[in-house]
Amino acid sequence: MKADLSPRMKVALYGLMCVLLIPFVFPTWWMVTSSIKPISDIFAFPPHLVPQSYDWTTYSKVFELQPFVRQYWNSAYIAAMVTTGTMIVSSMAGYAFARIKFPFANTAFMIVLLGLLIPSEVTIVPLFQMFLKAGMVNTHWPLILVPIFGAPSVFATFVMRQFFVTLPPELEEAARVDGLGRFKIFRKIALPLARPALASVAIFTFLHSWNLFLEPIVFLSSAEKFTLPQALTQYTDAYGGPMWNIQLAAATLTALPVLIVFIIAQKQFVEGLAHTGLKG
Amino acid sequence: MADVTLSEIRKSYGTVKTIHGVDLDIRDGEFVVLVGPSGCGKSTLLRMIAGLETITGGTLKIGGRVVNDLDPKDRDIAMVFQSYALYPHMTVATNMGFSLEHRGAGKAAIAERVNWAAGILDLTHLLDRYPRQLSGGQRQRVAMGRAIVRNPQVFLFDEPLSNLDAKLRVVMRGEIKALHQKLRTTTIYVTHDQVEAMTMADKIVVLNAGKVEQIGAPLDLYDRPANQFVAGFIGSPSMNFVEGTITPEGFAAPGIVLPLPASAKGLEGQRTIYGIRPEHFSINDGGVAAEVVLVEPMGSETQVTMKLGATQIIGVFRERVSLEPGLTIGVRPDLANVHLFSSADRRRLN
Repeated sequence: MKADLSPRMKVALYGLMCVLLIPFVFPTWWMVTSSIKPISDIFAFPPHLVPQSYDWTTYSKVFELQPFVRQYWNSAYIAAMVTTGTMIVSSMAGYAFARIKFPFANTAFMIVLLGLLIPSEVTIVPLFQMFLKAGMVNTHWPLILVPIFGAPSVFATFVMRQFFVTLPPELEEAARVDGLGRFKIFRKIALPLARPALASVAIFTFLHSWNLFLEPIVFLSSAEKFTLPQALTQYTDAYGGPMWNIQLAAATLTALPVLIVFIIAQKQFVEGLAHTGLKG
Repeated sequence: MADVTLSEIRKSYGTVKTIHGVDLDIRDGEFVVLVGPSGCGKSTLLRMIAGLETITGGTLKIGGRVVNDLDPKDRDIAMVFQSYALYPHMTVATNMGFSLEHRGAGKAAIAERVNWAAGILDLTHLLDRYPRQLSGGQRQRVAMGRAIVRNPQVFLFDEPLSNLDAKLRVVMRGEIKALHQKLRTTTIYVTHDQVEAMTMADKIVVLNAGKVEQIGAPLDLYDRPANQFVAGFIGSPSMNFVEGTITPEGFAAPGIVLPLPASAKGLEGQRTIYGIRPEHFSINDGGVAAEVVLVEPMGSETQVTMKLGATQIIGVFRERVSLEPGLTIGVRPDLANVHLFSSADRRRLN
């Protein structure tokens, strides 16, 4: 398609893409550069795109003011568990909805999809009550269990179902003739072929869990248990005002692994989107 | 190897009946082709034999054992699918050895069987490739390899050649037939292509609308079709049909009187369909007058579309004929090959 574009159209297209990039690139640039600026330079007018002076101590202060390593670990292991759990649940549920004939399967799928329409803010209070009664408040369990069995998993289930629907039924029939039962067909045939869709589920889920904000501030109360987005709000001075440069240094450290993972896995990510039929 | 027996096999989807009581005996080692137009139920019947579709009624026996309620894996059958259904994430060798591996065979035994099958099908040099790296014909051979590798009692083929181009189809047709002659495994083969059916089968089962129209050896079906459907389905170009009445003077159709064979005796006065294959006409000045409509020289033969009275028919002549559209010629039907069918129920009369 690119070859068909005239040079003028190409220039216009690239120009448009550059304009569209500004809302994505500028905040990131501002975050990274402000994290090494003295606090007085951050809001200087006119603003400096390139820092005039550097203050690297902000990064060491990130670790001094909060148990940041511990919080990093919290975010990482919660995201890993949520991602693994969601991949297991959504692949099995997606396969069942796509392939297993049972009464009211489509109705059940529609009901499950309704979960996507309910904002998490609506369910957060009843969930809090539930976990309070179960003695799980100020533990990581709500942050692990709610995404695995809640709305984020519904989206992942939808993605997986859309993929499994497109798998040729003959592959499964061949496997049945070869002697495999339902679960082995899922594990040995369907799941290995669903790698692109699983990859996109993994990326979506990891990002969602890594960036989760509302649930941690509701369920967690001690700094040792905080996750990164919640920890970012704790970099304040004695009067509650944000320590901008330290907060932005912490934000940079928080965003870094996600950016790296995305850059490495972006091919899988795009392929996953294409395979799941979500592409326009 | 085993006999396969279908007794009163029926299939319904809710209230819709698709297979209406099929009886069929397939002898051990026989190559049986199920043939019929699209939607006639031939693939459904094959899938019922495979265990991929449930059987609504009747009894299915493989090797003397009733298998109605058995899973495909317990029927000791192997199936080659139209789309080949090779596992895309496995190499040729893994695809072929997959069923053996799943059934707990040792690595050495699997390798031995895979190499044996690969040798027979000329796949040895392709064992490490993935299905996406193979041509259509090679994929077809891998699918067959996967079927033969575990030495099942019955092979089932579901239109295995329909994704191949015409030339390759002829080659693969020969390979499947040769494979059957080598292994002598009972084979049930589904196709809508009557040429495949004629060239490959020991026995053809012609199906239409979920019912068996006729069962027989290919040439029996060709020479003595049981009804007008089989007569029209088997043979290419199809048999010509002219509707009319049997009279003492001959077969009277609109604008024409055709000569009748001796076997038409006793049928006088009956509304009948006169059937004759295109190759059973000869050009003869003393024959019945026919107006040439279209001439199609094929090299080995010439196909001529003609108007015989009010009916358009096709004649195929082995000799080179120089005819022009609009010309009136005399054609003589070979009376030994005239088929008469009842206008009422389309069954054979002579």
